[in-house]
Amino acid sequence: MEATPWWAREGFWAKTAIFVTALSFVILIWLTFDTMKQIMAGSARVPDYSVINHRISYAPDEARGYQVPKIGPEEPLFGKKLSEEEAAALVRKGKLTIQGRNCMNCHTLLGNGAYFAPDLTKAWLDPAWGAATIREQLMLQFLMDPTNNARTFGTGRRMPNLHLTEEEAKAVIAYLKWMSAIDTNGFPYNFKSIAQGGE
Amino acid sequence: MLQPVELHDFFITFFSAAMVILFGALYAMLFAWGRLHGRPKLVWWGYAAYAVLVVSVLTLADATHLTGFWTWLVVAMLVGYLVAPHAIWHLCEGTHAEPAQGEGDPRSAKAVPPRRA
Amino acid sequence: MTRVGVLDSSNLTGGQRLAVKYFTVALILFGAQILFGLLAGLQYLKPDFLYGVLDFNVNRMVHINAMVVWMLYGFLGSVYWLMEDEARHPVVGLKLGEIAFWVLTLAVAVVVLVYLFVQYGPGDIKTIWFINEGREYIEAPRWADIGIVVVVLVFYFNVLATFMKGRFTGIGGVIALDLLALAGLYLAGMFFTPNISVDQYWWWWVIHLWVEATWEVLVGAIMAWGLMKTLGVSRRIVQTWLYIEVALMFGSGILGLGHHYFWIGTPDYWFEIGGFFSALEPIPLVAMVVHSLYDAGKHELKSSNHPALAWLIAHAFGNFLGAGVWGFMHTLPQINLYTHGTQWTPSHGHLAFFGAYATINIAFFYLAAQQWRGNVYMSAGIAGAWRWKWALALLSIGVLGMTMSLLIAGYEQSFIERAIEGSTWAGYFKAQTHPWFMQAMWWRQIFGWVTAAGYLLLVWDLLAIGAGETRTATQVGHESEQAQAGAQAAPAAA
Repeated sequence: MEATPWWAREGFWAKTAIFVTALSFVILIWLTFDTMKQIMAGSARVPDYSVINHRISYAPDEARGYQVPKIGPEEPLFGKKLSEEEAAALVRKGKLTIQGRNCMNCHTLLGNGAYFAPDLTKAWLDPAWGAATIREQLMLQFLMDPTNNARTFGTGRRMPNLHLTEEEAKAVIAYLKWMSAIDTNGFPYNFKSIAQGGE
Repeated sequence: MLQPVELHDFFITFFSAAMVILFGALYAMLFAWGRLHGRPKLVWWGYAAYAVLVVSVLTLADATHLTGFWTWLVVAMLVGYLVAPHAIWHLCEGTHAEPAQGEGDPRSAKAVPPRRA
Repeated sequence: MTRVGVLDSSNLTGGQRLAVKYFTVALILFGAQILFGLLAGLQYLKPDFLYGVLDFNVNRMVHINAMVVWMLYGFLGSVYWLMEDEARHPVVGLKLGEIAFWVLTLAVAVVVLVYLFVQYGPGDIKTIWFINEGREYIEAPRWADIGIVVVVLVFYFNVLATFMKGRFTGIGGVIALDLLALAGLYLAGMFFTPNISVDQYWWWWVIHLWVEATWEVLVGAIMAWGLMKTLGVSRRIVQTWLYIEVALMFGSGILGLGHHYFWIGTPDYWFEIGGFFSALEPIPLVAMVVHSLYDAGKHELKSSNHPALAWLIAHAFGNFLGAGVWGFMHTLPQINLYTHGTQWTPSHGHLAFFGAYATINIAFFYLAAQQWRGNVYMSAGIAGAWRWKWALALLSIGVLGMTMSLLIAGYEQSFIERAIEGSTWAGYFKAQTHPWFMQAMWWRQIFGWVTAAGYLLLVWDLLAIGAGETRTATQVGHESEQAQAGAQAAPAAA
């Protein structure tokens, strides 16, 4: 039998394994730094939390070939304009509530989560709310008593009552509004937004 | 730049993607079997499976609009699936060859005498 | 004194005794995974079932958490199982390891009880610390996270100290480095940020780099040891191939992370990186077919443990189908735009987790059962062999059936909800009430019951296999190392 050639030896592959792993990891770290810069709140892709003071829409972008969020004129949530700090605190509360109520084990957010209930990425823009003018109130009512305000669209699935306080429910709505302004590279595709004033 | 799949290409996308993997495996299997048992006919059937893979990759590329940068992906898949079984076979032969006297990584387990607690 | 055919702990070494504790809890949690999966599945069909008592989100959370934890328990147990044999040294700090096991198990029990009876908390940071972190797969509250890290550190000390006092083999080295990465990655999931894009970016570090990188390598290392033991392949060859696998898995898996960064707000260069690496990921998987056939052809397939070998073969097929075929079908961004966040994901998830990880853990359970009964004979013609064969068949058919059902549901959902209806809620519900979808959910449930039947049979078999058998295991392998290791890892005086 001939000797093991160098490219089939244990030592060679041990070194290759270490090299490949280290190289991939270094590239990943480098990309992570760049990505983090691009997805900080207040960047072009992930807007500042105070965006909830404005109208948000989802419109086609010719160059990119799909829809992207557009930030429109001032349109404060619940008619009350918030300072940057107040908006950040409200969105933070919303995220804490979404985590604390375990929303992601029924819904998806940005497409991640469970599939028992609809995706919430563009919940703020969904035509199911009927008209943009009454949307905030409907959302508030629904979140505070989902059992009795349920519309199951023939599935029979109802959201359980998670006993949100009014403050928590408003924070969740702020969160959903903010999230709808994130540039998700066209996801969800082909989405049809709710009609908003002047469109 | 991304051009999503057309509605009418949905099925063909999933189907051709599955075919790529299945025929890739079939090619690898026939190739290895043929070599192992010295039956060149099987190896040729393996290349026939690879030919189906090529058609599947091209169909997939057409349905998912793999143009521009994505052409490189098509090339990488075609070359990768063709070459990888050869490479692995080569490695199998190489690694299963008996090591010559005194060869082998000094750090490998064999060189270390077992110690007792 | 070995007692063949009797379940006797004196047949095991110290590390192996700890390993079977881990395996026992793993098996119980596997049952919990199936039970809560059945409950959640049933809620698709009967939405009022347990409404307001145990809602879907609770059942689903326990379903997926039980899965993650039982697999980790299986891995930890497997490492304790092979550590002494591999290092030729009794586990260093075994007492500490024992304590860590009980602490971890108690923590898991408390977390599950809180999930079931407290379920959720107010929207403040205390909920994240004490009830539920609300992030898929890593819902465990922060106190438990910290506990897990401490336990893992103890485990890590056991591993490192044992290999250092005994001998550091290639397999030992890969395990040690991989566990360090596994523990380190967990830290990436332990902070709160309101920014969901940042949140999911790091969340995927934990999930993807666990499941598609560090877990795979850990299983590769465990399997390498298993191949030496069950088929008697030589160490030099096994370790060389382990390194080749590490290079291929980390080489494609680490940057394959990019396929999760298409739609979460991250820049669009991830399309190219994610698309490229994940499209190339199946190539090594496919090419490895050559290696398996080569090995099977060169070595006589003579195994000292038939059920374990059968489960290892199931692993090879399951991994190929689940990760390879099901993964590739929806990985390119051009199609993932429609399939992301639909039933495609659970279809892929069920088969891939089962094929890649459940199978290998079950193979290890059989190795443990064999040794526990005094290295009892487990090859052809054992009494009650129908049990392990049917358990294997029912579990495989069950999971494959659920996968196919969810595939149909996923196809229908991505087509109707996403492509035709434009991803609105109305579109979502239209897809959910479509006859294809509803029938698929029934089939999923039926195959879920098949899986549960397979599980019950598996538990029965693991408890009964080898009972009353007087022959000892068939000898395989040409490594003198084996006999030596057996003597060396002789049971520590109890």
